[in-house]
Amino acid sequence: MSTVKIDQPGKSVLMMGNEAIARGAIEAGVDFCAAYPGTPSSEIPESLASVAEHFGLYAEWSTNEMVALEAAAAASLSGLRAIVAMKQNGVNVCSDFLMTVNLSGTKGGLVFVAADDPSAISSSSEQDSRNFARFADLPLLEPATFQEAKDMTKWAFEVSERVGLPCMIRSVTRLSHSRGNVKLGEIPERDRSARFEGVYIAGAFAPAQHSALHQKLERAREEFEGSEFNWYVGPEEAKFVIVTSGSGWFYSREAVAALGLDAEVGILKLGTTWPLPERFIIDHLKQATEILVVEEIDPFLEQNIKVLLAEQMKTLRPIDVYGARTGHLPGFGDINQDKVAKALASIRGLEYWTRDEGYAKRASELALPCLPPRMPTFCPGCPHRASLWAIKAALKLDGRNGFVTGDIGCYSLGAGPAGFFQLKTLHCMGAGTGLASGFGKLGQFGFDQPVVAVCGDSTFFHAAIPGLINARFNNSNVLMVVLDNGGTAMTGFQPHPGSGYDALGRPAPVVEIEEVCKAIGVEVKVRDPFEVDQAIEDLYDMLQDDGARVMIFRRRCYLVESKEKVRKRVFVDSEKCIGDDCGCARFCSRVFNCPGIIWDAGAKKAMIDEVVCTGCGVCATLCPSGAIVVEGG
Amino acid sequence: MEAGKGSLDLEKEVLNEGLCTSCGACVDICPYIKVVKDRVAVIEPCGLAEGKCYDFCPRTPTDIAALDRRIFGKERSDSFLGSYISIEMAQARDSQVRSRAQYGGVVSALLTYAMDLGEIGAAVLTRPFNGGLMPTSAVAEESSRVLEYAGSNYIASATLAELNKGMKQPGDAIGVVGLPCQIMALRKMQASKHETGAKGVKLVIGLFCTWALSYKGFCEFLRGKVDPSSIKRIDIPPPPANILVVDTEAGTIEFPLDEIRGLVKPTCGICFDMTSEFADISVGMVEGIEDWNTVIVRTPEAERLIEKAKADGIIETRPLEETRLGHLREASLQKKTRAIGEIVRRTGDERDLLYLRLSDAERGKFL
Repeated sequence: MSTVKIDQPGKSVLMMGNEAIARGAIEAGVDFCAAYPGTPSSEIPESLASVAEHFGLYAEWSTNEMVALEAAAAASLSGLRAIVAMKQNGVNVCSDFLMTVNLSGTKGGLVFVAADDPSAISSSSEQDSRNFARFADLPLLEPATFQEAKDMTKWAFEVSERVGLPCMIRSVTRLSHSRGNVKLGEIPERDRSARFEGVYIAGAFAPAQHSALHQKLERAREEFEGSEFNWYVGPEEAKFVIVTSGSGWFYSREAVAALGLDAEVGILKLGTTWPLPERFIIDHLKQATEILVVEEIDPFLEQNIKVLLAEQMKTLRPIDVYGARTGHLPGFGDINQDKVAKALASIRGLEYWTRDEGYAKRASELALPCLPPRMPTFCPGCPHRASLWAIKAALKLDGRNGFVTGDIGCYSLGAGPAGFFQLKTLHCMGAGTGLASGFGKLGQFGFDQPVVAVCGDSTFFHAAIPGLINARFNNSNVLMVVLDNGGTAMTGFQPHPGSGYDALGRPAPVVEIEEVCKAIGVEVKVRDPFEVDQAIEDLYDMLQDDGARVMIFRRRCYLVESKEKVRKRVFVDSEKCIGDDCGCARFCSRVFNCPGIIWDAGAKKAMIDEVVCTGCGVCATLCPSGAIVVEGG
Repeated sequence: MEAGKGSLDLEKEVLNEGLCTSCGACVDICPYIKVVKDRVAVIEPCGLAEGKCYDFCPRTPTDIAALDRRIFGKERSDSFLGSYISIEMAQARDSQVRSRAQYGGVVSALLTYAMDLGEIGAAVLTRPFNGGLMPTSAVAEESSRVLEYAGSNYIASATLAELNKGMKQPGDAIGVVGLPCQIMALRKMQASKHETGAKGVKLVIGLFCTWALSYKGFCEFLRGKVDPSSIKRIDIPPPPANILVVDTEAGTIEFPLDEIRGLVKPTCGICFDMTSEFADISVGMVEGIEDWNTVIVRTPEAERLIEKAKADGIIETRPLEETRLGHLREASLQKKTRAIGEIVRRTGDERDLLYLRLSDAERGKFL
């Protein structure tokens, strides 16, 4: 049973941060949820979709984050409570709407969750979405604990309604994807109806709207001054205070304890970080002479605090501010207890090691040789491996130094050994096609390289269509290859407009990618990438044509396919395997490099790892000796 | 035949230099070298220092005298036409065969005959037009299918790849029809220390060839002028016509050869062989006589087959007039002289003839 729907107020439940946010929304009586999947945010809409029928709320996967925010705003403008959730890149996608809906204002509570990915573990960018709150003049909350994740989300709806603006919640991977105890609150009775009234037009006297926006933000500041999510722990009148928010809270507390500084160092933990609760902060820094600002990614809080301190020069004594600007904390990447403790130790002149240096060296020496080298790779059975091999072969055969512009999805790994280093550019959703449309127009400057833009099926709907239309409109020489594996695979196989089912798993109309392409007026072919030689030949042929063209390599993600089908047994006939000899040279295990294929160095033969192999059988079609056998064909 | 070189050397010395003939000798040996249309590429280095691909290629160093000795048991007696027993005119007796064929139908008739006799069980052939401009190669296992492959196309296809595919399932004795570069590669395959399907080839019929066109170039040339799927026959009549004739379902179109010459594969400019000098039998046109072939019989086995075919009424022969033989020798000499000239232009050294290993005496004849 989904933890988010347990109806036992007061019960303590172990919850993932994202589930706690979803639960907070449920306790606020949320009506509407829209999102585009993105790590580390996806479990928020997934949790809500899983209980949508139970609570009678609406949940959808939208084609992209901007559409999600717009759809959710429609619910808000109709008096409903709505939530959107996205990863940091999604915030950029919907920023245009964000920068206008702030002017028009909202009605029902609209909560905007931005889940940042410090260190870009699952992202093409590292960015601090809090800057968007300041940019768009929106109230910003940062949960530091799992309990806060829930409680703050519930409160965010109220803040949003009181000030008439979307309220932003910033989470980070450590919070979204860790688990902790959450004490449940009540789930309200739901009795709401949607009705649109009034006028919400941004840009009608925009400067006046902008001024009104600043006044709304002042109201939010007043509310934040008394917020229960801002607190101070530590000695009264501490001279050294850590100012922190979000994930920095736990790290700071542990670091202070590890250094035995509980009696000297105070921690000022802020949950409302834009606009800053200025009086609350000044009150707690009256005795301070030094502060260390602990936060994840940008020195957002650090800079805003510095502005505040500058304004309060006459009220406060001079305060040294340590943080990213002084080099005590990185200002990029994720942080941890260790980094905070080191910063603290360095400022305080203390010695601090997490472990003995000799021990660390010995541990590395012992452990590293035992670890097999593991490059990031595609799953066994993944169609992308065959697709990228076909692309590589077609470009090599073409011989004009063609290259691939990459996009965001599992196939982004094509930039590395998994995809034979084929992707030469990689930026954001849809960028591959947009870049390609530009490369394809450089002929008048002597550019003669063919350009292949790859993009996934979900990415196609999300952001690649305008690039394709641009290529068609401007008659750009682009070959777009849609790697259609049937869903948004990288984030957990959420459905998209081409999938045929919706966020709740119900049947949905299918938007066919090839039909979209035909309507745009481009030549389109659909091929199975596992018919590798045919795929190579067709790609080669398309590379010889001019204008915008689309090849759809269609084969379902094998992680999903193999759950529905009986797995075929694949094995190597070692009599036929020629291993290292001319004619093969370990193609399957060395070059194609599916994790399901192992090289038996003793026997000098290939082997199938039957635990890992998904039985897709593409290796059997590539084996030059016919040595790989798929049982039952 | 130099040992110790592999796919990277092939790529560097042959493919990157534009010298590939797309004969197919290196294709389908392994997953690393692929062909599409007439483009061959090393998709990924296999990592081996030495390989069949380099060994088999007709544009890697080739000792002409050694090949002669291996095939004919002696060095060539004729520097212009290679070793031969006889040169005659011939044609298929069956007029239906002749009507399908490019000229006299001798190739189709002999192959069909050899298969019917059981001398070969299958033939590696090239279908000149298969719904488009690009010829396709295949293995015919029944003599009744041979005629489907009759006719010429001036684009090279990777026909020899069929032998590498065939290697996986060794079968009957095989016959092969190919262009001079393909025949040279086939003989290199047979001479190689490596295992190859070419070792099962018992009958080698070579075609005369002056040059082949680049698929892409010819396609682009014909765009808007001829629908490739409607082409029935392409021919270059003997001088002084100086035209390329394309027969289509809609009629016949002539193109001046001067417009076509720029589309010739660069590798043809360094080709030393017009008459498939390493074949068992070489077959080409007879200047000025449309439905006859010039046939050069080179090996005793081929001579036996021809005699038998004559006796069984499959083909008939006539002596080739001295003037026509003279023109043939002259054309061959011209190709050789042009090739050596082009090679020396590339290398800048009269002693460095790229792939050709010729004795000083032989080389001197063409410089």
